Amino acid sequence: MERFVIIGAGAAGITAAQTLRDFRPEDVITVISTDERVHSRCMLHKYLGHERDIPGINFVAPDFFEKNNIYHIPCQTVTKIDTQAKTVYYGGEGYSVPYDKLLLATGSAYFVPPIPHFREAPNVFGFRDLSDALKIDDAFARGKRVFIVGSGLVGLDAASALCRRGGAVTIAEMAPRVMPLQTDDYAAGVYQRVFEDHGCRFLLGIGASDAAVDGEGNITEVILSDGQRVPCDFIIMAAGVRPRIQLALDSGIKAERAIEVDDHLRTSAPGVYAAGDCTGLSGVWPDAMAQGKAAAENMAGVDTVYEKPYPFKNTSNFFGVTMLSVGRLDLTEGAEVLVHRTAREYKKAVIKDGRLTGYLSLGDISNHGLYLHLIKNGIDISGKKDRIFRLTFGDFYGINEKNGEYVYTV
Amino acid sequence: MKRIFIDPAKCDGCKSCTLACMASHQDMTPRRGTLEELRQVLYTLDLTDPTVQSRNRIVSDGKGGYSPLFCRHCDVPDCAGACMSGALQKNLETGLVEYSADKCAACYMCVMSCRYGVPAVTPDRERMIKCDFCQHLEEGPACVRSCPKKAIEVREV
Ligand SMILES: Cc1cc2nc3c(=O)[nH]c(=O)nc-3n(C[C@H](O)[C@H](O)[C@H](O)COP(=O)(O)OP(=O)(O)OC[C@H]3O[C@@H](n4cnc5c(N)ncnc54)[C@H](O)[C@@H]3O)c2cc1C
Repeated sequence: MERFVIIGAGAAGITAAQTLRDFRPEDVITVISTDERVHSRCMLHKYLGHERDIPGINFVAPDFFEKNNIYHIPCQTVTKIDTQAKTVYYGGEGYSVPYDKLLLATGSAYFVPPIPHFREAPNVFGFRDLSDALKIDDAFARGKRVFIVGSGLVGLDAASALCRRGGAVTIAEMAPRVMPLQTDDYAAGVYQRVFEDHGCRFLLGIGASDAAVDGEGNITEVILSDGQRVPCDFIIMAAGVRPRIQLALDSGIKAERAIEVDDHLRTSAPGVYAAGDCTGLSGVWPDAMAQGKAAAENMAGVDTVYEKPYPFKNTSNFFGVTMLSVGRLDLTEGAEVLVHRTAREYKKAVIKDGRLTGYLSLGDISNHGLYLHLIKNGIDISGKKDRIFRLTFGDFYGINEKNGEYVYTV
Repeated sequence: MKRIFIDPAKCDGCKSCTLACMASHQDMTPRRGTLEELRQVLYTLDLTDPTVQSRNRIVSDGKGGYSPLFCRHCDVPDCAGACMSGALQKNLETGLVEYSADKCAACYMCVMSCRYGVPAVTPDRERMIKCDFCQHLEEGPACVRSCPKKAIEVREV
């Protein structure tokens, strides 16, 4: 009998737990998490916007742990791993659990830039864990003037939730447009207007450089780089995340910017694997799940090579405005850029050497999945440029006669 | 598990399957009924209503033939592998990739992740749309029953 321990109950950790149970009906599986309850980060805004309660943002069945006979140790942070004795320590190191195979699925943490007062002020929050959302909820009950740093997906998630609840939201973005990584100027403009229609204010191309604080160290005014002062009740940091690697570093597991893994998701310590955001391989949900699955298979002794994910991919849906953004829209040198615009839709394709390298679609994104596949696999579309915005799988049609599934024919 | 097998050579592009799918899911609620009853629904289908959506599509293959696009309920479904709400799940007993609209957060990572471009979005942008194998019909998928050419059929795999 083997003892499996998983640190983290997010996308990677939970998927790994399920996968291990599928392969190992009898073995002991323990999940330890700082999180009190399993929740999907991608749905935090649904909780913060009071559209759903806490059970409503769980992404597994409420009886997931009991049903799968998995021990869950919630509200506990692992602070040390003895990779020689194969033991993890938590609860001020007063408690320990031995393992034969260990998975680090610690995710990532929000980053607070070194702006005066920002790192210490009690009214500066991240938006990563349910515990963050609970704190914001609390602060919002006391004051509705919200200052958000960063207009990426996380910043906009928080903004959409609080605008919905009548907050006075100001977002500062260093880049000249909203969601700079996923959009182009046109798409960004559409989102900006939608948010403005819901009461949000944007300060673009500008950053916070200082702050005024009250007697308790709470920030009362954010001071921008041009000297403008914006009064606020609290601040949400959404200026990027970093893989959570402290535990690995403290335990002598190789990590620099992220936890280092090989193509089997093994770390430098024997029997220790890593999956999800903490590996720095990607920062999106589907890849965290895929890594959790692959790592668990290897832990269970099923040899699985994990292929590097294609990280440039996202969808967004704010106030009913939907967008799909895949590939690199910013790399247009030596590329052909095609645009299609109607009253309801905006589409853009970046084509280089007969291959699609970027694709953006704003509006009805139905049936758009093949564009990610074309980009990720560098599939030749040179003969199909005239209908680039109307491609379907029919253009690459093939059927696996044995099982009836589809296959790409190129 | 069962899968709808496709013989594109037999398809003549009549789109009966598309209409049958719409009829079977009119008003976004699965409808019970015999094939005859579904046929009756066809007469009242409002094709200008954007919520009357089909889960399958027939596209031209550019050579005079047709390529039926149907959800494969893949053995390893990328849509469910991308789902961050738990709304899309592969049912290991039936093999079907099932969707629970109550759980769905309409993030549309499933739309992005299906390499065959099957999942669609609803006009209100609050749900996704994909084949549910007409589990509400005892006789099986409406599309299959409506195909005059037997270009699609349910087979055990
Ligand atoms: C607001 C927001 C919106 C997002 N929206 C999307 C989206 O729409 N689409 C998308 O694809 N991705 C989205 N993401 C990204 C996605 O949520 C992450 O990629 C995914 O959650 C990564 O999963 P993970 O398991 O690696 O880490 P996480 O889900 O972060 O889980 C980490 C787990 O580790 C635990 N943990 C960490 N350190 C310790 C420790 N020392 N001891 C014990 N437990 C520990 C935590 O408590 C937690 O349970 C979003 C993220 C955020 C924050």
